[in-house]
Amino acid sequence: MVKGNWALFEEDFWAINQILQTLMRSSSARSVMLIDKTGQLINSIGEPPGFDVTSFSSLAAADFAANEQLAEMVGETDFATLVHQGAKDSLFLQLISNRVILVVLFDRKTSLGLVRLKARRASDELLDVLQRLFEKLQYRNEEVGPPSLGADFAAEAESEIDSLFRD
Amino acid sequence: MSLINYSSREINCKIVYYGPGLCGKTTNLQHIYSRVPQETRGKMISLATEMDRTLFFDFLPIELGQIRGFRTRFHLYTVPGQVYYNASRKLILKGVDGVVFVADSQIDRYEANIESLMNMHDNLAEHGLSIEKIPMVIQYNKRDLPRVVSVPDLEKELNPQSHPYYEAVAFRGTGVFDTLKLACKQVLKQLG
Repeated sequence: MVKGNWALFEEDFWAINQILQTLMRSSSARSVMLIDKTGQLINSIGEPPGFDVTSFSSLAAADFAANEQLAEMVGETDFATLVHQGAKDSLFLQLISNRVILVVLFDRKTSLGLVRLKARRASDELLDVLQRLFEKLQYRNEEVGPPSLGADFAAEAESEIDSLFRD
Repeated sequence: MSLINYSSREINCKIVYYGPGLCGKTTNLQHIYSRVPQETRGKMISLATEMDRTLFFDFLPIELGQIRGFRTRFHLYTVPGQVYYNASRKLILKGVDGVVFVADSQIDRYEANIESLMNMHDNLAEHGLSIEKIPMVIQYNKRDLPRVVSVPDLEKELNPQSHPYYEAVAFRGTGVFDTLKLACKQVLKQLG
């Protein structure tokens, strides 16, 4: 498992994007999201959701984290999948590599069984991409140091912070 | 553990407000929410009890805008302060990039501050983190109240490592942005 900051590079992003697109089409889902376990959105595709995806991501991660603790209490390592079934829309959540959460939002045009099947296939593919990415990051964080944004970045960010955060 | 997405050119950082129950963590976020321009803030989520005590967390995403081509966001979280919600506090610290420790200056809450700070150290350690590795800003809140501990005494007990601190009256907004600004700058400095 990679430690420290993590970064997503162009090629990995597009590889992930492709897998999510295929999953959405083959399962007839409304939208598919990939979320970091700490609550940060990695990618979202499909119908533009009518809700705030940033907040959604933080809540989905919290949901998973709380369920992981519940799993531990009943003697399981984790609950790797969660399903929330609503009258019209439902959510399928799958933990991958103990690091990211795949979220599928689907309605009654498809079934949980199909979503589960296609999500499992997508998870295996995502696992390959993520493992390659984590290996790359492990090397960067340990041997090279975290990816740098350049010296000017902090200076520009500071002036932005000063102008935004004031009474 | 910030997430840098080089493809969509986004940077997301996580700052957690920690401290004992009723010290003013949620008040800090509410003030920030009420004062930053609407287009820079997302929805504020509060998972609270019916009595308005934080049950799981408050969450407020703030967007700094484009910096050197990167859309930069801070995700602000509070933890539930009440002692028995420790499992939740531990979860929220996962992947934290910077901490704001909000201390309650009142004499009666002196012990609660120490207990909360020790609890934070323990919970960080469980994630393999320590306050030596991630930035922390301390906020001495409720400075307007009559029976408060002096700042030097608070410093001696809560801040032996001399982390930067601000005095605050969060419900009036005093010191809220100073604290946030410094925490954000320190987090970004670590990235750069």
